[in-house]
Amino acid sequence: MTKIGRRQIYFFLACIAPVGKLVFLPAQLADVAKNDLLFPAAMQYLIQTAAVFCVLLLAKRGMNFFELLANTFGKIAARVLITVYAAFLFFAALLPLLEQKLFVQSVFYDTLPSLVAFAPFFLFTAYLCSKPLASYGRTWDILGPLAIVGFAGILAFSFGSADFAALLPVGAVGFGGIWKSAVSAFSWFFDAALLLPLLGKFDYEKGMAWKGALFYLAGGAAVLLFLAVFYGIFQETAVNQLFAFSTTSKYFSGITMLGRIDYIFIFTLGLVMAFYVTLPLQGGIECLLLAYGRKKYLPTALGVAVSAAFLTTVLLLDYRFGDVLKAITGAAAWIFPVFASALPALMLLLRRERRETA
Amino acid sequence: MKLRKFIQTIPMKIYVLLLAIVLFAFFSNDFGLVDIQKTAIILAAGIDKTENGFSLTAQIAVPKGSDRTTGGTSSVEIEAEGETVSDCISLIFSKTGWVPKLVFCDLIVLGEDAVKEDVIAYLNYFLRNEYMPDSCLLAVCEGKANELIASKSAIDDASSLAIEKLFSDAAVKSGKVVTNTLKDFAIGYYGVSGSGYLPFIRMTDQQGEQSDSSSGGGSGGSGGGDGGEMQKIYSAEETAIFQNGKMVGLLPREQTLAFSLLQGNVFTGTFNAEEDGKPVTLTVVRNKGGVSLNVKEAPMAELSLEVTVRLCCRGITAPIEDIASDRISGEIAASAKAALDGYVEGLWRTCKESGCDLFNLNRMLYRSSLKKYSVWKDSLLRSAKAKIETNVKSMK
Repeated sequence: MTKIGRRQIYFFLACIAPVGKLVFLPAQLADVAKNDLLFPAAMQYLIQTAAVFCVLLLAKRGMNFFELLANTFGKIAARVLITVYAAFLFFAALLPLLEQKLFVQSVFYDTLPSLVAFAPFFLFTAYLCSKPLASYGRTWDILGPLAIVGFAGILAFSFGSADFAALLPVGAVGFGGIWKSAVSAFSWFFDAALLLPLLGKFDYEKGMAWKGALFYLAGGAAVLLFLAVFYGIFQETAVNQLFAFSTTSKYFSGITMLGRIDYIFIFTLGLVMAFYVTLPLQGGIECLLLAYGRKKYLPTALGVAVSAAFLTTVLLLDYRFGDVLKAITGAAAWIFPVFASALPALMLLLRRERRETA
Repeated sequence: MKLRKFIQTIPMKIYVLLLAIVLFAFFSNDFGLVDIQKTAIILAAGIDKTENGFSLTAQIAVPKGSDRTTGGTSSVEIEAEGETVSDCISLIFSKTGWVPKLVFCDLIVLGEDAVKEDVIAYLNYFLRNEYMPDSCLLAVCEGKANELIASKSAIDDASSLAIEKLFSDAAVKSGKVVTNTLKDFAIGYYGVSGSGYLPFIRMTDQQGEQSDSSSGGGSGGSGGGDGGEMQKIYSAEETAIFQNGKMVGLLPREQTLAFSLLQGNVFTGTFNAEEDGKPVTLTVVRNKGGVSLNVKEAPMAELSLEVTVRLCCRGITAPIEDIASDRISGEIAASAKAALDGYVEGLWRTCKESGCDLFNLNRMLYRSSLKKYSVWKDSLLRSAKAKIETNVKSMK
């Protein structure tokens, strides 16, 4: 079996995971936290870094996600648990997919395209989902540097337009506002959950847990820097800027002469994002394969079935995005810390020694 | 064996190829194609208040066909009335069959009646519309925006293009004009200061000129292509100032210059001073400006500007040695300083009397101290005193 390299894991944590936080999240944070939007983001990053640290520590045991559960609870209970986890990953995939759809429709088209314009994207997800999960590594090797170039380009074009004094005064909304904003942002922070299905597909090396956590924090620092630039540019109107990373660079003075050359970087990050939003689907399918066995055509069949189901869901929810966002960031927000933060931490309590029957 | 393996992988190769083609199409933005026959490319919009709501005049670019003799941009103006701006846009669609496209709209002009009430009601549609560039320029005009947009410019085929020339970078650097965009106006409005400014456009007849009936606008709508219509020229040297979305005052050209100088924007702009009672024109070659708020005791707005100038011209005859020098005398420097002091004082007085927090003093206080802001927020502008410091230097 092809293993994922440690460098590739670090690429994911530092470069690819942050891309998912650059579309709706900045406006969502600014909605409640306003100029204090860095604090809820930092809180979320600290929680998720701890979760990433826990998952990487689990890798030390040399077992995959299913084996870890079966080793303690037995195979039947492990199947139930891992199926529930797959359901969570499919649920977590909904918001990024809708984000990606609206982002493409709004940014890459200058009038609203037809409903089915996004449909081909699910051919792409079906293809990725049918590939073995270890192929992630090669993809991340390519996407990591692309994400760095795209992000650096957008930041370079945006920096001069930002008024960082707009981030003052610190603590204007109080702890209550910051906490409320942090809670509404839970839906964007489940990267540790994406690592769980990868357990057993990469080898642990000494210090990998804290190195991975540091790489994840480095990605978080880049996101915080972007949030500062974003709020510095849009200030009180930040809440109205739904497609954050596609909007900040257009005020660069050279663009009036050269045209929207920043689109090169926006397209680059758009491409990285296309892979990132497919990860929860791939993770969910991998969980099912771990639980029920990797039969010959099952990965392809699951990939096609899940993609078709999501295509239908996205089409059905096309005019109900507001309701979906409200539910996921409101009543259903607790699901994310439970599955993506608490569960990886609790898994450290699972039996360490391998049982003969597991 | 190799052939068999190759044949086995053909379906996947075709799939990947198809996938690449589909993804390319997906990210293509329809390859940027715009069907000009079905699309109304709106260059500018003028909005007026009506009894029932809003009147929107859209200046729409139309293709000129193969006639290369005239050049430039041809346009047609369509007017529509509705209860909301969106109603007006829909009506333009139903009147013309063209799908209105705002992505190239670079100018929104508000009529004089519209700015007597909160203008965000007029801009709401544009702030919501994700296909509308928020870097679009905003302006107020004397009279009706409809008349301005539909007027025949003496200097360009489309009035909006002639007006946009007034707002060029060079014009802004001259200090004679200030510009503002939809985004920045909205930031000012929704910020703690609740203030803003927009250039104020006046339109005058171009004396001795008649419109050429073959040039410019097309037919239909309110603008029309009346060949006998007088050609117009435009100016935007005055600045409308806003508080809570309503226009509360008008800065004359001297105060507009002072505002530009305080922002540190001016380069190669000119203003007049005196020597021996005769006028001289000075060119600003370097400008630093700033406004700060001192709240150690009673609030004090500190307005400071520094200009380095050179002599541009005198209104009198002068010997060649004088023409060869661009340094200014002490008397001219004192006169220039007095002139600038007067402009800045006038600007401060206008802001204070109108209640417009043009210098964002409330915002400065909010950012520096929440505690002091809660004490002073309702009375800051009324109670603040101004300390004006101007410094005029001669170019060495």
